[in-house]
Amino acid sequence: DEEFNELCFEFGLELDEITSEKDIISKEKGEDRAKGASDTVLYKIDVPANRYDLLCLEGLVRGLQVFKERINLPRYEKIIPAEGEGQKLIITEKTVQVRPHAVAAVLRDITFTKERYDSFIDLQEKLHQNICRRRALVAIGTHDLDTISGPFTYTAKAPLEIKFKPLNQSQEYTASQIMDLYRTDSHLRHYLHLIENKPLYPVIYDSNGVVLSMPPIINGDHTKISINTKNVLIECTGTDITKAKIVLDIIVTMFSEYCEKPFTVEAVEVVYPNGKTHIYPELAYRKEKVKPELINKKIGISETPSSLAKLLTRMCLKSHVIGNGNNIEIEIPPTRADIIHACDIVEDAAIAYGYNNIQMAIPKTYTIANQLPLNKLTELLRLDLAAAGFTEALTFALCSQEDVADKLGMDISATKAVRIANPKTAEFQVARTTLLPGLLKTIAANRKMPLPLKLFEISDIVVKDPNTDVGARNYRHFCAVYYNKSPGFEIIHGLLDRVMQLLEVPPNEENGYTIKAAEGSAFFPGRCAEVFAKGQSIGKLGVLHPDVITKFELTMPCSALEINIEPFV
Amino acid sequence: FTEMPTQNFVESSFWNFDALFQPQQHPARDQHDTFFLQDPAEAPELPPGYTAKVKKVHSQGGYGSQGYKYEWRLEEARRNLLRTHTTAASARMLYRLAQQERFSPVKYFSIDRVFRNESLDATHLAEFHQVEGVVADRGLTLGHLMGILRQFFTKLGITQLRFKPAYNPYTEPSMEVFSY
Repeated sequence: DEEFNELCFEFGLELDEITSEKDIISKEKGEDRAKGASDTVLYKIDVPANRYDLLCLEGLVRGLQVFKERINLPRYEKIIPAEGEGQKLIITEKTVQVRPHAVAAVLRDITFTKERYDSFIDLQEKLHQNICRRRALVAIGTHDLDTISGPFTYTAKAPLEIKFKPLNQSQEYTASQIMDLYRTDSHLRHYLHLIENKPLYPVIYDSNGVVLSMPPIINGDHTKISINTKNVLIECTGTDITKAKIVLDIIVTMFSEYCEKPFTVEAVEVVYPNGKTHIYPELAYRKEKVKPELINKKIGISETPSSLAKLLTRMCLKSHVIGNGNNIEIEIPPTRADIIHACDIVEDAAIAYGYNNIQMAIPKTYTIANQLPLNKLTELLRLDLAAAGFTEALTFALCSQEDVADKLGMDISATKAVRIANPKTAEFQVARTTLLPGLLKTIAANRKMPLPLKLFEISDIVVKDPNTDVGARNYRHFCAVYYNKSPGFEIIHGLLDRVMQLLEVPPNEENGYTIKAAEGSAFFPGRCAEVFAKGQSIGKLGVLHPDVITKFELTMPCSALEINIEPFV
Repeated sequence: FTEMPTQNFVESSFWNFDALFQPQQHPARDQHDTFFLQDPAEAPELPPGYTAKVKKVHSQGGYGSQGYKYEWRLEEARRNLLRTHTTAASARMLYRLAQQERFSPVKYFSIDRVFRNESLDATHLAEFHQVEGVVADRGLTLGHLMGILRQFFTKLGITQLRFKPAYNPYTEPSMEVFSY
């Protein structure tokens, strides 16, 4: 187990959990239900999101064996049948509006066992969830070729015109009935919306009118594969042709291992509405040239070109030195669709070398360190406010609409608040436009603490601003509250004076700050003042209105101060 | 290291994802993981020349890359969201650095809040802080990155480190750091 964990770590996989079927059932349903379940050890492995070739046991084992130099990477071969003998998939122009692309291939003389069969189905599911984006981009269908006869037609028809027996059902249904049938199915109902409201649904027929499948929903029962299936037709339909090709390549490369002629795939000719034809699967091998100096330089190692070539070959990128030893030619197999730039090749070389074997170094260039002035001011103020006897709070930047509007006696449209489109709960509807609700909620959660409660926060609020490139901006606010049996307006006022003293802003109108009596919907009438400095209003202070106190579930009087500190940077 | 300005929680999908080569169909751009905004829903301004370059690399490739080969849509890039990583701010800084007449090496850092639309549990909140660092210079290697990370963690009192290969749409080679 230790060894395998190490291997995974080096390769870039995460061994998430070592468990067994018995353990899983125990955890979910209780120990007595687990009796009789398998004790064989199961490894749960996390595969990086861009490695589609490691999503099934076959691919994972193959990758690791090449990494350990136990086997050579097999060469995947496309067999193009003689004229008239191969399968054809004809696409009609009706699919253009709903699901235009389709590719297909055949695995000939394959031998399944229970494990291989399960793995085959499992890989399709994983690809569906991963690169296919839950069947929206690509959907996979696999069929027993011996139960049908080509040429096959991929077209689209009105829901009522499509009738067949879906997989594992006992009778025929029309497509509309199928939609209703699977509306409550925990697995399939998530895909119905992909075609439900379209005028035509995609469907694949064989030459006798047998329905192979109605992508992306379900296959027909007629063509279902079993452990005894010998010849498999694989079709991938979807809205993204690049991904459809990658998906097809992955499935056939992974499972062609079990064909009579291992690692061979029989090609299918796809005929487009305009008459053009294309042979699939592509199984393209791409050759790239990378200089060994580049690889060494980017990683920070100095390996010889031939040892670099060996490292890359271990990562399923067959390489050899060319030229007079100053260049490396790399062959990228169809299983590595994740290699899209030379840097991907550099990464693989680094992984094979072993990240933890790389010498660590510090960049030699000197640069001058700098703190952002606004943050520097914030840090300095925080220290002095704590020294003044106030406790710092760090609160959420997202809150409910009521928190910034109704509870403070304001209308939401006057706040210029930024609104979230998809909040999971009501607590995350808007971005805060004031720090006050956060502090009041903090007090409400700490009612049992001894009085007085003196809190402050210096943090960002968010408002809409048409002058910025995104339409909103942050302002750094400072907010303090005093919560006690008596409101303590003089204490909050004193805090403001202290802050201004620290900022070296004199208490006069011309070049300093003043406060003027004002009205504020959150404040007690006659006990509210507006703070002016640097030629603008920077905030308010006063005794909070009893309505506000009650709405935040508090019971004592409270005075508050909130100002924007950005003018003082 | 110089501190980067990060005072914008609201970011456009362009800077948060597209400029960082994260494809528009990537799961992280799902409703489930990102807070998209209702108001303001779209970013009015995106850098015009740069936007065209980003579009090309996503859909066709370029600069040595094969690209993702899908249809890149401007409306998707305009969608506003609450930033999911401070790397969006780093992207802006690197763009600004590229506009300079002459390249000068820089080291940037930031520590600020990010937002992810995930279910809350004992160890996960919807808002959290990220520490971000960027070093731009000629002749930097993976070894330099590991060296800086080691110094950073040493200052925090963590000295036993192991590096593991990982995958990130916008970094290659990528790694995760483990302490034991």
